[in-house]
Amino acid sequence: MHTIEAIGLTHHFSKEIPVLENIEMRVREGSIYGFLGPNGAGKTTTLRLMLGLLRKQGGEISIFGKPFEKHRTELLSNIGSLIESPTVYGHLTATENLTVWQKAYRCPKNRIPEALRLVGLHGTGIKKAHQFSLGMKQRLGIAAALLHQPSLLVLDEPTNGLDPGGIIEIREMLRNLNREEGVTILISSHLLPEIEKLATDVGIIHRGKMLFQGSLASLLLRQHQASRIAIETSDNAAALQLLAGNGLDPRIEAGCINLAAAEKPAIADINRKLVQHGLDVYRIATVEDDLETIFMNLTNQ
Amino acid sequence: MSTSFLHSFQSEWLKTRRSLAAWLVIIGGFFLPFIMLVGRTVYHEKTSAESTSPLFWENLAGQCWQFMALFLLPMGVILATSLITQIEFRNNAWKQVHTTPQHFYTLFWSKLMVIMVMVVQFFILFNIGIYLAGAVPALLLGTVDYPSQPFPFMYMLKTSGRFMLDILPVVGLQYLISLQFKNFFVPLGVGIAMLMLSLVMVEWKYGYIVPYTYSPYNFFELRGSAMSGSKDVNIHWLALSYFAFFTVLSFVLYISKKEKG
Repeated sequence: MHTIEAIGLTHHFSKEIPVLENIEMRVREGSIYGFLGPNGAGKTTTLRLMLGLLRKQGGEISIFGKPFEKHRTELLSNIGSLIESPTVYGHLTATENLTVWQKAYRCPKNRIPEALRLVGLHGTGIKKAHQFSLGMKQRLGIAAALLHQPSLLVLDEPTNGLDPGGIIEIREMLRNLNREEGVTILISSHLLPEIEKLATDVGIIHRGKMLFQGSLASLLLRQHQASRIAIETSDNAAALQLLAGNGLDPRIEAGCINLAAAEKPAIADINRKLVQHGLDVYRIATVEDDLETIFMNLTNQ
Repeated sequence: MSTSFLHSFQSEWLKTRRSLAAWLVIIGGFFLPFIMLVGRTVYHEKTSAESTSPLFWENLAGQCWQFMALFLLPMGVILATSLITQIEFRNNAWKQVHTTPQHFYTLFWSKLMVIMVMVVQFFILFNIGIYLAGAVPALLLGTVDYPSQPFPFMYMLKTSGRFMLDILPVVGLQYLISLQFKNFFVPLGVGIAMLMLSLVMVEWKYGYIVPYTYSPYNFFELRGSAMSGSKDVNIHWLALSYFAFFTVLSFVLYISKKEKG
């Protein structure tokens, strides 16, 4: 079952330029869906549409199997969200900030200290939120999203402003929520390594179009398929000619001959042929594109 | 009152804690009575003579309302309404508010209710202030007697009730503008411009068409010198009508906003 299903999502801020074009998004129940894209790709607009912060212009959105517009309040009672910068009432303390949301969500009061402890803000006492650092504000925003124990978390760049230790803590916390409490998480980021370490599923958006959607494993498979062999010899030009004459498609890149990935026997055969023709082979290596390169390739298409 | 409204109101009320608007209500409520208190304490010979007047409290209230009705009350309401509504813009909070499981109409009315309660709070504090301005000099100075006239609760209630009614159009229009514009200076600027306009128009015979004139008109009526602009019309009904119109318009505009944070 899909926790979120968006079909044909289209949005324009002005008549000429579409911000989103026919976006299809399916977030599996119990998954951590990493929503990737460069700045301005349409991630936040998609999330805002899903939460009803923007009026929908085209397409359908259903959450927990129900159309969002018809069941808005019912669905929102089970969704925690953090969109862009965190919402913090600067003149209130962390506890008071969460009390505002506790009343709005009508959840038990004892969730407030629990949520604060979860994000490491339980010791802030009477300190007003305007005195918090950016990282602390971000944590408070995450605490507000977790307060009512939602089944779905929608987090837009949640680690913005956090120090490396904080990033790891929040990542671990999200992973635990997903594993232990079965919370489905939709997390957007422009930072691939962050998503790579956390997500089970990935969606890549660029210029309002969905370029890839699937499991992280399928993206990794794509990465494997895009791998190649790099060969360095005593005479790369002669080696190039030889390999081309044997039905391969070699290219010289950065002082190496690059070939499409091949099975082990085929690599041994290439080596044998090079040596038999009097060429010294200095290096044969399998080169895999990292996810970043795949991401760049996808977004540069 | 449904529980969802009650929870929404509590949530909205909490946001006003230690806010500028909350301080404004307290300071604004006691400001003029405090000045009167200081004046009555310093000029205690005069105060002593006034204490025996059979209309002591009406006279004291009239002096306090004079400055309050013409400028401070509308200005205070302009500031408080705009500040409370702008809490969401200032804290970048609309997006979070609109992703809570609350109906848009619940949010709209609970926020308006918070403003109304704060206005009522202001009137209560102002009346307590008037009482203290009248009573405290007798406690502080042995030479001044406690006012011989009993405190006229009904008169004070009626007077405050009328001013409350007459200030409602200001609440309505300021709420409407504050919900629509992110920049705090827009509602503030419109409010000040309307207030200035009302002070100029108050003497015009059709001055009643300006919705910010009713508080000054009520003051002149209270003093027994009704202005020509308010002689032939019931300004209280007009105030209520303007308030209803602004509120309905504000609600329609709020509900139909394309971007909600």
